[in-house]
Amino acid sequence: MKRLPDLRVPGAAALLLAAAGLAWHGQPAVEQQWEFLAPRYESRLIERQVYIDPAELLYLMNDDYIDLLIFDVRDESDWNQFHLADAERVPLDQLPSQRDRLRALPENAVLVVVSNDEMLATEAWKRLMVLAKPNVYILEGGLNLWLNIYGVPAEEVAGHGRTSLAQPNGRLRHRFKMALGARHAAARPDEHLTPQRDYTPKVQLFKKVARAGGCG
Amino acid sequence: MAPYDMTATFGTSGSYFIYLAIGFAFGFILESSGFGDSRRLTAQFYFRELRVVKVMFTAIVVAMLLIFWSTALGLLDYNEIWVNPTYLWPGIAGGIIMGIGFILGGYCPGTSLVSVATLKIDGMFFLLGLVAGVVLFGETVGYINAFWNSGDMGLFTLPELLQLETGVVVFLVVCLALVMFIGFEWLHDFIYGKRR
Repeated sequence: MKRLPDLRVPGAAALLLAAAGLAWHGQPAVEQQWEFLAPRYESRLIERQVYIDPAELLYLMNDDYIDLLIFDVRDESDWNQFHLADAERVPLDQLPSQRDRLRALPENAVLVVVSNDEMLATEAWKRLMVLAKPNVYILEGGLNLWLNIYGVPAEEVAGHGRTSLAQPNGRLRHRFKMALGARHAAARPDEHLTPQRDYTPKVQLFKKVARAGGCG
Repeated sequence: MAPYDMTATFGTSGSYFIYLAIGFAFGFILESSGFGDSRRLTAQFYFRELRVVKVMFTAIVVAMLLIFWSTALGLLDYNEIWVNPTYLWPGIAGGIIMGIGFILGGYCPGTSLVSVATLKIDGMFFLLGLVAGVVLFGETVGYINAFWNSGDMGLFTLPELLQLETGVVVFLVVCLALVMFIGFEWLHDFIYGKRR
């Protein structure tokens, strides 16, 4: 039988070369990873499939069958001024530390990302899709719209009524007399006492949950 | 972009056929590499035979290079690949038990299946023992639950441990593999004399 040529040295050289090339090239940053994923997922943003109405988020907050997580990606100052009840402050740079947890979420889990408007939350959504692809949505209009709908009227608290949402710039447009955090009335409004809003439900679960239990 | 949903792309039967083809190729390579022979496998531990470490480590570094080059070029979504979370203490204990079992029995789980395919009796008994061990473990793991879940480090890989770029770690692992190949050959020649 003809002896095969000894390819050990060329083989080892090829492996070394490929490894050295990889070390030089490096792995893509999160932004570049999103560029790779964008053809598959960007349509959800463009068609606004993942932007949920504040009324839908309020419904989810009161739905015991949903394992709801709210990630607030704003800075600490805005968070201290006002945030939703049960929200967690997770700035963009801390999202990678949530990867294992997000991957272990049950199938009835829904993650909603909130920021002052939609800009920062949309950036967080992209990063979350890169990291773990959870069932993640964005609060439409951000907390500025939320406070326009569920905030205390201007006549009750000076300068705290509805605010213009035109030309979003990432800032919290509502002004507070003091930092109330989740103690503000709008942090968890009573869904029975708030004005009813028509909206198109967009949240879909990875798996349908049974909404009735027990025998029969 | 990979990984692809095989069932969605090729249907259930199509995906099963692909899995069968991959399994066939894997078994073919293992058998043709001599991994169905327990004497060859255990000879590795005495430095008499180096093919196990060479084949396995070559497979590891080639797979590693393919995965991370594909990720770098946007052909593969690395975050979609399942990486086992690290449970340090049970991992160490399991490694020791597996190593002892490998030396005593002459097979690891995969190679015992390869040996059964060629109707080797020792492989069949090894497989029977393996199944019995799996059943025994499944029935008793509840008693060692605390240990079973100890040392939970989550997704913890070499780049996190070494605090280095992934590409640099891959380069180091390739260097380690090549140094190990050369070292083992030197050790073999030192113990058993120069091969002709």
